[in-house]
Amino acid sequence: MIAQIELTGVNKHYGNYHALKDIDLSIEKGSFTALVGPSGCGKSTLLRSLAGLESISTGTLKIAGDVMNKVPPRKRDVAMVFQSYALYPHMTVEENLTYSLRVRGMPKTEARKAAAEVARTTGLSHLLDRYPRELSGGQRQRVAMSRAIIRHPKAFLFDEPLSNLDAALRVHMRKEIRALHDRLGATSVYVTHDQIEAMTMADRVVVMRAGIIEQQGRPLDLYDKPANKFVAGFIGSPAMNFIPAQGGQDGRSVVLDLGQPQSVDVGYPVQPGRELTVGLRPEHITLAPPDKAMLKVPVAVVESTGAATYLTTATTPELAVVINGRGGTAAGETVGLDFEPAQLHLFDVKTERRI
Amino acid sequence: MRRILSSIRDGHGFDILLVAFPLGFLFLMAGLPLIYNAVMSFQEVDMFSLGTFSRPFVGLKNYRDLFAQPETWPILYNTLVFVVGSIAGQFLIGFGLALFFWVNFPGASWLRGLFLVSWVMPGLVVGAVWNWILSGDFGVLNFLLRESGIISGNIFWRSDPQYSLYAVIIANIWLGTAFNMILLSVGLSAIPGDLYEAAELDGANAWQRFWTITLPMMRSSIGAIIALGLIFTLQQFDLFAAITSGGPNNSSNVTQYWAWELSFRQYDFAKGATISVIMIVFVMFASVVYVRSTRHEVRG
Repeated sequence: MIAQIELTGVNKHYGNYHALKDIDLSIEKGSFTALVGPSGCGKSTLLRSLAGLESISTGTLKIAGDVMNKVPPRKRDVAMVFQSYALYPHMTVEENLTYSLRVRGMPKTEARKAAAEVARTTGLSHLLDRYPRELSGGQRQRVAMSRAIIRHPKAFLFDEPLSNLDAALRVHMRKEIRALHDRLGATSVYVTHDQIEAMTMADRVVVMRAGIIEQQGRPLDLYDKPANKFVAGFIGSPAMNFIPAQGGQDGRSVVLDLGQPQSVDVGYPVQPGRELTVGLRPEHITLAPPDKAMLKVPVAVVESTGAATYLTTATTPELAVVINGRGGTAAGETVGLDFEPAQLHLFDVKTERRI
Repeated sequence: MRRILSSIRDGHGFDILLVAFPLGFLFLMAGLPLIYNAVMSFQEVDMFSLGTFSRPFVGLKNYRDLFAQPETWPILYNTLVFVVGSIAGQFLIGFGLALFFWVNFPGASWLRGLFLVSWVMPGLVVGAVWNWILSGDFGVLNFLLRESGIISGNIFWRSDPQYSLYAVIIANIWLGTAFNMILLSVGLSAIPGDLYEAAELDGANAWQRFWTITLPMMRSSIGAIIALGLIFTLQQFDLFAAITSGGPNNSSNVTQYWAWELSFRQYDFAKGATISVIMIVFVMFASVVYVRSTRHEVRG
């Protein structure tokens, strides 16, 4: 595959603040890449640097093979969908769509034809004469996307485009954006703080924290093999349980510390006595009869959504458990918990790296 | 009595009270003088009938007489030149300054505030200062123009009929520019920054962004400032009194100054009122433009 966007050694400083630290990132043509991380992690700065709305301090940024470090935004041929949509309030939907064509000198009739065509694919045909203030949130969102589509840019940049929509519409637009991406064969970069959006929409997820890329890869690879404790805790919902542990004396087990020590045979070598953090996803824990289970713990909280039941145990640290269906336990009861040793994620206490 | 009191307490009567108070105030302090002025323009008024309200009704005679006077049309024309020249100058320089300070360099907002100095000065003081600047023999303006080679001989700004009106316009532009700038700055800062980012990504250069984003988004601000400018220039009186007194030979006379001159210098109150009524029509028009343009604000 060809790299459509390529960053090598990119740094961004705001005065003393180091916003992006040695970013190396290659985005393939036709791929959907999600930049995800907590607020302040630099994902929006990175996206704005791709657009040219921020300049990068050092490093190289290439789009479609050309170095873009000093190229102004209007010559980069990328389109951006803003969180606020940034629709031109004094223009009708049609004028919003054709703006980029008109400023480039396309004749009005041709631009209108292009707008009509894009509007048909995004379901805006009946709204072309409206002003943005007369549209609902979802419709504004569609106009913002259509405005990007009409230009056939080298890349689409999305800056948290769904965060102003209500939950139901957000789930719907998630699919719509992804379908649109596939239909256009576009290259998309999508910034979000919502890991579910990243996991469900993207081909590739880039997890960022404090200006560095913690891990990048396919969504399920990140879920199955998080590179460090941060990624492990960030990807997945509810978040992964972390349990302090030590390497067992037999060299192939870990001793979990959940109030009382609990030895688990992991089936691969572990340095005896090594300080560890063990990660275990709530959905990988199952209920078992207490006398046969690996863990016997009291339950503190039971929350049920009908489809699933969320347990919180009265241990230190407390464990979150997700079970399908009703579960049939109540707060205060003691339950047996089981899990596959292969589902444990081992992290070094100091470096927080995966072992 | 009790019904009235309880209606005030439960809200409906209170609403009427709230409306009645400002309406009463406006009627007393603005409505009555306006009506009195309009009535006077249809009456024969002289020093002896000044004290009564029942004066001989003369229909449109005052209007006919006024337009029969040889100086009327030149003075109306002067007013037009004064209004258009002042507003154009104030607006263009004010908009230029507003855009300049919009760049937001260090100290920009602080410096912008200092520009209000011109606006807090009384018109008569501004007039006195400009008298010195415009002075024919030792004025600083003549000095600058002469030294930079634009003129060869001194211009007697205040006493040359060719220039006297422009002398007042220059002073008035200086006086009103700061107000224009502040109002336009507010309008500029209300434009969301991401519109410019979107336009930049859409391929618009700075010039195109100005014409397609800034100006249309400023439409209501511009409409408001021009309407207010029309009202302010039509009531500009101090500068004429301080700089040219409408002279020489009415060459810098405008309707607002002339109305005062007729009424309080020549004691021809009917004519003074007649001119005022004509001006009221123009100011009403400006007010309608102002109200409409502030109502049609475009906000995303």
